Amino acid sequence: MEIKLKHLTKVFPGNAKKNIPDTTAVNDLNIDIKDGELLGLLGPSGCGKSTTLYMIAGLKSPTDGEIWFGDEDVTHLTPEKRGIGLVFQNYALYPHMTVYDNVKFPLTNLRVEGPKKATKIIDNLEIIDLIKNHSKEIIDIILSSTYKNKLSKDASARKLVYKYHIVTSQAVRLFKLGLQYKKEEELNPYIEQVINDLTLNNQKIEEQINKFGYTLNEKYEYVDKDDVVVNQKRKLTKDEIDALVQETSRLVQINEYLTRKPNELSGGQQQRVAIARALVKKPRVLLLDEPLSNLDARLRLQTREEIKRIQKETGITTIFVTHDQEEAMSISDSIVVMKDGLEMQKDHPQEVYNNPKNLFVAKFLGTPPINVFNGYIKNNSLYIGEEKILTSDKLTEDKEVYIGIRPEGFSTGEYVKDNSKVLTLNVAQIVTMGRDMSLVCKHDKFIGEDIKIIIDSDIKVTIGENKFAIKPNKIFIFDGKTEERIYF
Amino acid sequence: MESKNNWKAWLYLAPVIILMAVFTFYPILNSFYISFLDNYNYLNGTFDGFTFDNYIKILTPFIQSGPGSYYEEVMQIALPNTLLLTIITVPISICLALVIAICLNSIKWFQKIFQTIFFLPYVTNAIAIGMVFAVIFDTDYGVFNAIFGTANHPWVTPAYGDPNSKVNYWSAVFALCFYIIWSSLPYKILIFVGGLQNIDKQYYEAAQVDATPKWKAAWKITIPLLSPQIMYVMITSFIGAFKEYDSVIGLFGTTAGNFDSTTGPKNMETMVYFIYSQISDRATRGGVGLASAAAVFLFIIIMIFTALQFWVGKKRVHY
Amino acid sequence: MRQDYNSLHLVLKDSGFDIKTRENISKVMKIIGMVFTYIVLILFAILVVFPFYWMIITSLKSGEEIQRLIPTYWPEVFVWSNYSEAMQRLNFGTLLTNTLIVGIFSTLGTLFTTIFAAFAFARLEFRGRDFMFSLLLATMMIPGEMMVISNYTSVSLLGMTGGNRTGAYLAMILPFMISVFYIYLLRQNFKQIPNELYLAAKVDGKSDWAFLWKVMVPLAMPTLTTIFILKLMGTWNAYVWPNLITTGHDELKLISNGLRDSFNTAGDIDDYGIQMAATVVVTVPLLLLFIIFRKYIMRGVGRAGIKG
Repeated sequence: MEIKLKHLTKVFPGNAKKNIPDTTAVNDLNIDIKDGELLGLLGPSGCGKSTTLYMIAGLKSPTDGEIWFGDEDVTHLTPEKRGIGLVFQNYALYPHMTVYDNVKFPLTNLRVEGPKKATKIIDNLEIIDLIKNHSKEIIDIILSSTYKNKLSKDASARKLVYKYHIVTSQAVRLFKLGLQYKKEEELNPYIEQVINDLTLNNQKIEEQINKFGYTLNEKYEYVDKDDVVVNQKRKLTKDEIDALVQETSRLVQINEYLTRKPNELSGGQQQRVAIARALVKKPRVLLLDEPLSNLDARLRLQTREEIKRIQKETGITTIFVTHDQEEAMSISDSIVVMKDGLEMQKDHPQEVYNNPKNLFVAKFLGTPPINVFNGYIKNNSLYIGEEKILTSDKLTEDKEVYIGIRPEGFSTGEYVKDNSKVLTLNVAQIVTMGRDMSLVCKHDKFIGEDIKIIIDSDIKVTIGENKFAIKPNKIFIFDGKTEERIYF
Repeated sequence: MESKNNWKAWLYLAPVIILMAVFTFYPILNSFYISFLDNYNYLNGTFDGFTFDNYIKILTPFIQSGPGSYYEEVMQIALPNTLLLTIITVPISICLALVIAICLNSIKWFQKIFQTIFFLPYVTNAIAIGMVFAVIFDTDYGVFNAIFGTANHPWVTPAYGDPNSKVNYWSAVFALCFYIIWSSLPYKILIFVGGLQNIDKQYYEAAQVDATPKWKAAWKITIPLLSPQIMYVMITSFIGAFKEYDSVIGLFGTTAGNFDSTTGPKNMETMVYFIYSQISDRATRGGVGLASAAAVFLFIIIMIFTALQFWVGKKRVHY
Repeated sequence: MRQDYNSLHLVLKDSGFDIKTRENISKVMKIIGMVFTYIVLILFAILVVFPFYWMIITSLKSGEEIQRLIPTYWPEVFVWSNYSEAMQRLNFGTLLTNTLIVGIFSTLGTLFTTIFAAFAFARLEFRGRDFMFSLLLATMMIPGEMMVISNYTSVSLLGMTGGNRTGAYLAMILPFMISVFYIYLLRQNFKQIPNELYLAAKVDGKSDWAFLWKVMVPLAMPTLTTIFILKLMGTWNAYVWPNLITTGHDELKLISNGLRDSFNTAGDIDDYGIQMAATVVVTVPLLLLFIIFRKYIMRGVGRAGIKG
């Protein structure tokens, strides 16, 4: 599903009496999200990213602008009419329901439309198929599923469902058929008997259907006299709900926890349940609010991959909100960086890092953060203090600028090839971290306290003044007034 | 430091321990003891030996001492009355309180004002308001009869100056239950509103995204998440209803609806009413023993009910 | 072979209405719901307020007006004399004096015992602390009637019944100087005060006693206010025990007993105005307290339900 935000604006009204001015949370936001894209909304807290997400979800209504899902304007639709799945920051799992019931919950309200099918016949055929090909294994599974030394219906049903991707009611039927079977030598005749019964049963059902004036096509759909497949609008059946829950929990790998309550799960497991609950109704759009913020560092890494995998497997258009640039960079296909309700930049993650459009974006992305200096352009050259950093024909206009240099953009010693373009920094501290070396330096044109530099640990640096050459592709120049990027 | 604290701590606790030993722990044990004494006279401490008579007298539905005898009171009047009041008032007041609390929690304007109004009955004097209800339910000139067009129907008191007028038992029960429910609502509403405000709003947003109808959200999310409060209110109000006394006195006076001679002298008497009347009316004539036995009996009933509710609640209540 | 659930698709637009109509419908439904909610609340609010209203207007009616077949909803003539007569009938001065003496002493007593016990349970280490605390909590489960009987025999044996003024006061104060529930409430409050404060005071060489009065008590003032108010109201409403103690001695009665005993004959219609004036006199101080201390009262009462 393609999503378009057109001039989306949200103003929270203030209170004139108490002298609280209106706050514009989202300001004229225009974003196109491609079908199947995984988009990250990135920005500091209060930048309007969550408000944007809630507006897409329909939980907040925009003051102005439109939201389009494909060719449908959903701006004024209530959340339930939009077909979205929303994962809340704290998951909002119903604490009194089991995982299964949590995932099931959205389905109990749904109405679906589709061809009317002879589900009983299909069920029987599936069972016949299983018995024909896997009777040995099925019996083994049933016999090995014991609870307190007794054969357990629930345990074997769970295993059968997991193994053969069938619904619980079918698994229970298999279990019952398995119970009736006693001795090894009679297996084949017994199977034949069961298959015969089921086939006969199917014939009866079909006769019944024919009596009502319908025939069945090869997909076992009802076809009326005019050869038209019968469509029906209805609630989901128990088996369908079960199948969807099983399918989704397989996708997010929570099969093992279906009978547990949310508070018996770890944070990562809860997160997956929340995603399952959002996905189970096959939404058009999946929305995630700070999906990783409640997880510890190790789980974060794991869950990140997990979200990516699930998104790729389902191909569902996904939007997530985060304030963590690393998270956004690592998961998303593209990133929208926001500030004060305004879109700063939309691009592929690496592109946003390599090519920030303005000072804010440059500063917001990257750890350690970019080093920003006060500088100026004079005669096609860029200066920090007295020192010329680089020269370019494109730097035509003389003016004050901000100069951002990524921590990895410095080199020194033998790597300095052109002595006329160096920056002298006062190295205050050297920390070697294996392959890399981290320098803390000072410079009086630097904005802030410490300049952080990361260079190869082979390079020789001494405490005190050092001359550094700067890689041109790691230098970004921003206008001193507008803070917009000046390209060179 | 900790060992030094030891005796100091007991010093801090001393007032509580001494007072409770005298007025709580000793009386509890003593009540058990007295309940087995025959013809106990509390003034000089004499009794005619140990006996189960007190319990037998209380638990026997019929005894040959003739109509109007106090022996029959518990089984024939006090216990049935108490159970009836409990069964009627507890479920109704809990349901009403739930409805009001859910309404209160869902409104934006005047929430504080409504909350305050609904709490008013809590801060009143049971006796005083009971008297007000008696006036409202007055047979001849009561506003209740005037509003509902049930002219001259006696609810609490017989018609004025008419010796043939009698208060029907069920009318009296209705008036009493009306008053009990009215006065027991505020506490329940307060607890429920507190519980509702603790439920995370996100559950409802999640439900809304999943197209859950309002009634379903209330039934599947609100009620289960409120179950600890419901459980708590249920237990406290069952206990409260079993000990109903002030409301009876307030509405009917100390004669407790001594109105319909066909069903005995103390129509609206409850268990606790029986206990107190034994102490104040027959203290020196074995009444204290009888009252003790009745108190122990009441204690056991309450314990059983509470245990039962905990047992049921274990399956239903989500903590 | 598996059933193909993907062939189903969700019905999102169930109704055939366009967006605008749907939006309007949901708006209208919302308003209807709101109106319905307010109607329910207003109806119940009227039901709650009505007895108070009726009490007040009846207290100002003349006997003649009360006995009309069609009741009036506003007094035609304000009969203020009902009040003076009610005061006289109640012997209000005596009742008020008794109630205030008993109320203030038992409230202050409760505050002291509660503060000490809560402090010991919340801050001090001693063997048997948890056992003692559970024992206290367990007594909350036992119906008060179990204790009343023996307590009555106790105070009788101590000679506190039978018209002895000091004895009667003591009998009405001493057993009510303890409240397990308030100990529990204050202990929870004390526990929330960070332990660092206690340790810091220790480092500064402050004694437990000084810490309790200089730090804990001021910090727990809101809870203590709640306890003070609720306890005072409790005495004002006490009926059962004072009734047992003061039977036959009108000069020792508390306000609730006085009220009941002064108007005990049912159906005394001529009296209704005076009777209602008396109930107003008894009810108004409570309502005043409630209006002034609404926050404290509601929080204190509501606290009980937070932990299930």
